[in-house]
Amino acid sequence: MIWHCDRRRLMTGAVGWGASVAVPRIVRAQSQTLVAATFPGTWSEADRNIIAPAFKQAAGAAVTQSIVLGTDQVARLTAAKGNKPPFDVAFFDTPQVLDAAKEGLIVEYPSAQSPNFKDLIPKFQDKWGPKITMQVIGIGYNPKKITTPPKSWDALWDPQYKGRVGLTALNSQLGIAFLAEINRIKGGTETDFEPAFKALRELLPNVGAIAANLGAYATLWQQEQIDIAPYNFNFVQTLKAKDVPVELAIPATGAVGWETSLHLVANAAEPELAVKYIDLHLDAVIQAQMLKPPYDAIPTNSKVKLEGAVTTAIAKSQADLANVRGFDWTKLNPQRGALIERFNREIKV
Amino acid sequence: MNVAESRLALPLAALFVAFFVAPLVVLIVLSLHGEVAMRTWTLANYVKFFTDSFNYSILWSTLLLGVKATLLCVGFGYPIAWLCARSSARMQSVMVFLVILPILTSVVVRTFSWIVILGRQGIINQVLLWLGVAHEPIRLLYTEVGVVMVLAQVQMPLMVLPILTVMSKIDPNLGDASRVLGAGEWRTLWRITIPLSLPGVIAGCILTYTACITAFVTQTLIGGARLIYMPLHIYQQAIGANNWPFAAAISIVFMVAVLVIVGVLGAIGRASETYARP
Repeated sequence: MIWHCDRRRLMTGAVGWGASVAVPRIVRAQSQTLVAATFPGTWSEADRNIIAPAFKQAAGAAVTQSIVLGTDQVARLTAAKGNKPPFDVAFFDTPQVLDAAKEGLIVEYPSAQSPNFKDLIPKFQDKWGPKITMQVIGIGYNPKKITTPPKSWDALWDPQYKGRVGLTALNSQLGIAFLAEINRIKGGTETDFEPAFKALRELLPNVGAIAANLGAYATLWQQEQIDIAPYNFNFVQTLKAKDVPVELAIPATGAVGWETSLHLVANAAEPELAVKYIDLHLDAVIQAQMLKPPYDAIPTNSKVKLEGAVTTAIAKSQADLANVRGFDWTKLNPQRGALIERFNREIKV
Repeated sequence: MNVAESRLALPLAALFVAFFVAPLVVLIVLSLHGEVAMRTWTLANYVKFFTDSFNYSILWSTLLLGVKATLLCVGFGYPIAWLCARSSARMQSVMVFLVILPILTSVVVRTFSWIVILGRQGIINQVLLWLGVAHEPIRLLYTEVGVVMVLAQVQMPLMVLPILTVMSKIDPNLGDASRVLGAGEWRTLWRITIPLSLPGVIAGCILTYTACITAFVTQTLIGGARLIYMPLHIYQQAIGANNWPFAAAISIVFMVAVLVIVGVLGAIGRASETYARP
């Protein structure tokens, strides 16, 4: 009977079956419907308002956009491994790309079938999938309370902001990037996070709130629960568009960030549509549309001229974009679990 | 129950096996492995949990959080149920509607509205500042006091409804007899109503307690990341750290701890039922 089956196969089958039940089957049953993941916030709005109509026109097919965080996408794809995946297009930040590629959750991007791929700035032409934008972090602040823009990360430690500093837990990309940047500034390395945690302990008296997720983090700004905190350029733009008093300052130590990319999922139900959908994100006209507020998505296509908020906050030209410092995720990724645990220990009240 | 009748329970049993027992078995097996691919059997995840005081400090604070919120629920819920049971049928339906109103909206919506109430610029702080009670906004959001308050409000129906059900079944003659024999309202409440409604209170406690300690949304949105409770701990291990086996192990530990508490409450409940029977 069932227990005579290979244990591992039974387990993956059970997990995969559970995951496939969780996915709306009806959506899947209709032919020619692509299921694509997208990030909450700026990207889900841009995907819905710009990409979905354009895709319908270009490919004659509908797309269901599923709003899921990168780490959750990896979890869902892992659960469905060996079965039909819950979506065809994955939407990742740099660290998840490494995890997903290692686990065989995504396949190499068929760039030959993607006419816009070659127009990307070379550093954004990744073999696992094109980078569609960059996320840059800096110091978010409430301009009603803080009239001079902070010039350095040190501002967070300023005693005058006692109880007014916000942070986010390390399961968000923002949290981990902030910790890694502080570590670098304080003299740590990718393998030695001691300086970052020492700085974190010194920062805690100033910290008024640590949000468990990015949704709660946005609420902290909206409710003016915090005045100064590390934040992401695109989230600031989204909140500003909703009249929340928040601005972003890039510290003197320079802009830091990571890339966001799209991927063809292994065993995708609609691989051709998936590539068409991804390619649309690379199109110069589309990227120019996404560069406009409230999306302000940093373009990766070399033919798109930088303009708007990006040029005042981050980069005047495409060349400046190349100077945005990144992180070595191949070294950071394996430590993520340990870092989250250590961070929780340090902050738990 | 005869065999033919018991067949009626088969669809439910099948559903239960497919959607509860099977995933639970997967969870247990996963927790006994070293990696997601399940290549090596190990007890390391459990050893890791029990040899680290950080983990059981989280477990303990979670179980304690449930106690605090449940006590608050009993404190407010019992009088409401008592009033409800004694009102006219018309008034009763209005009150029951008011009691279940919170569960008619999404927990996320309810919790977000609590953020607006508890925040620095929130209603409570505005009132305190206006009254001059406080000179600067007091911290309610991201504190355990805030979490307990919100949990008690959000889960209140789970407490009131079972108590109300049991109370409305109490024979009104018992109260009358007590009064005729010279007992006052308080004595009647203490000697007649409370003992007889105890099974309802216990049922309400089990429901609210389990709902409070597993309320991931409320705990994380109102409590933030510094107040780590088991659901957030499990989520971070599973999704943030991608450590499924350890997340599975702490889920099992959490589940067993909760089952023990529910078992004890259930035993008290059964004892109180025999007490209530003539």
